[in-house]
Amino acid sequence: MWELVLSLFINIILLFYRFLGQHTIVAIALLTLVVRLALLPSTIQQQRTAQRMQRLQPEMEKIQKKYAKDPEKRSQEQMKLYREAGVNPLGGCLPLIIQLPILLGLWQSIMRVLAVSPLELMRLSQSIWPFIPGLSAVIPLERSFLWLDLGQPDPYFVLPVLVVVTSWLSQKMLSAPAADPRTAATNQQMQIMMPLMFGFISISYASGLSIYFIISNLATMLQYVIIRRGRFGGSGSQTGTSGE
Amino acid sequence: MKKKWIDTRAKRGLTLGALIIICLALTGCSGSSRPTTWTVLAVGDGIVYAADLEQVHALSTDASDSPDIVWSFPEEPDLRSYGPFYTVTLAPDGGVLLVTSYERTGSGIFARSYGVLRALSADDGTELWPQPVTANGEFVAPGAVADGTLVIGNSDGNVYAFDVEDGSPAWSQPFSTDGRVWSSPLVISDTVYVTSLDHRLYALDLATGRERWERPFEAGGAIIGQPLRLGDHLYVGGFDSTLYAVPLGGGSAVWQFQGQDWFWGTLATDGSTIYAADVGGTVYALDAETGDPQWTRPVSLGEPIRLGPGLSADGQILVLAGHAGTLYALDTEDGSQRWAVPQVGQLASMEISEGVIYVTRIFGDYRVQAFQIDSGEEVWSFPPLESEE
Repeated sequence: MWELVLSLFINIILLFYRFLGQHTIVAIALLTLVVRLALLPSTIQQQRTAQRMQRLQPEMEKIQKKYAKDPEKRSQEQMKLYREAGVNPLGGCLPLIIQLPILLGLWQSIMRVLAVSPLELMRLSQSIWPFIPGLSAVIPLERSFLWLDLGQPDPYFVLPVLVVVTSWLSQKMLSAPAADPRTAATNQQMQIMMPLMFGFISISYASGLSIYFIISNLATMLQYVIIRRGRFGGSGSQTGTSGE
Repeated sequence: MKKKWIDTRAKRGLTLGALIIICLALTGCSGSSRPTTWTVLAVGDGIVYAADLEQVHALSTDASDSPDIVWSFPEEPDLRSYGPFYTVTLAPDGGVLLVTSYERTGSGIFARSYGVLRALSADDGTELWPQPVTANGEFVAPGAVADGTLVIGNSDGNVYAFDVEDGSPAWSQPFSTDGRVWSSPLVISDTVYVTSLDHRLYALDLATGRERWERPFEAGGAIIGQPLRLGDHLYVGGFDSTLYAVPLGGGSAVWQFQGQDWFWGTLATDGSTIYAADVGGTVYALDAETGDPQWTRPVSLGEPIRLGPGLSADGQILVLAGHAGTLYALDTEDGSQRWAVPQVGQLASMEISEGVIYVTRIFGDYRVQAFQIDSGEEVWSFPPLESEE
């Protein structure tokens, strides 16, 4: 099943590459945007749930204080509150559970399609659908772009810096202010650590992956702005991590 | 209060640690010793020379259960200083072994890998050149030695030529292609034929590295296999799933055959028939003159075939190395299966000599093995498993 998902993404990248001027960057960017667009309904649902949960936060805190010594009663009251407000507490997680494997598959398929080594190229050969004519002829993909070899890390660290900056910005935009100081501290730390981690990955791995991170982060920020300004708008929502 | 603080720190640490592990796992990072390509062997006079990632070994082939190690380079595995080793090229006089590795310099985010070429004495494994030769990319396939010159392709897109004696460049500059050169050159007389992932087959002057043909032969897909010469033609297969018969003097293909999947390995011939296998696992026998199929239908092995087929000396048995690890022997008459030896580990390279098939493997218990070509019976395996020692 997982291989099927990867094959799907790989063949779409190859199709885009073949028919859109044989530019690897364009193919990666377009697939990233298409996937982000396809996931938009679940992203909207996730943000709506997060907003509703946030509105219930003051009442939840009251329940927590009131039944601090009675966990069972506290749980019952919390569920009652959710029920009355029409909120499914898992509603924020389910879309993320759906999105995560798709975004991880996208990540893996980009790595695979760049096929730097012979072993990777052999592996790629097993993922190409033979019933789509002409895809094999475009292998291996063009890896040169400006100063970059898309199969190698950026030697000048420009892309890793852009990854860190865009990851931090998207984290900053998406993180809701938390009432609980411990949660706020954790959020703040994650806002720093996650971009640094993606920066580290960008330094160590193919720059094609960095391109994906950057486009994905930009798309996340754009989605946030559009959703916020649209009819699903509201202040302070929280979605998944950037660059997934 | 202190306990809470510790709890919070522990949770943060665990979360971050889990994220890093997930990310590293997803990007396929499992250590620097993970091979990037396949190991290669060469068979000399009673000796098998094999790269096995950590070392290059010279193994005595007259052993019964396990071969004797004649020498190893380096004497003990030392991946911080040497290797991983991938290819070996034995000079025609049998005195020099050219070995390649892909080594790292620097550390952390400033680490960089580059291809390294060394010349070793085939007798005792000592280094012969004052210093190794390096290139920006990886040497994926063995080179070819003729007239004291080693010609070898590289992932940086260049074809290099070195004096076997001292490692000095034999051409004023390397020959550049527009793609990675992952195949071994074929030297015929004073001409080097070499393929590239840029879809082209080039003919170069052995002495100068200059192009011999007016323009290179261009296929519909990348070419990764060494060309095969038969009579006045060269035969190559490409990622466009097509086999081509190209005149030795260059020009258009005299015939082409459409297969079902990529052709990766070098082809084999008995003098009248061309044998080929594709990465979809289909095996073909074609008339060398016309490209017409010789069997009633192609044989499907159900396992990708990357290595070129090998042929027994009498031309009766076609040996195929399945990518997943099975060695197959087919009857050249009709493609029927004579035997199959399923084993663990990707088959990396194969040589047939005096009725014995020698293979190298990666991702398996054994790095080098020998089988009887008539029966598929295992002759020996290296290294011996601990329980066998």
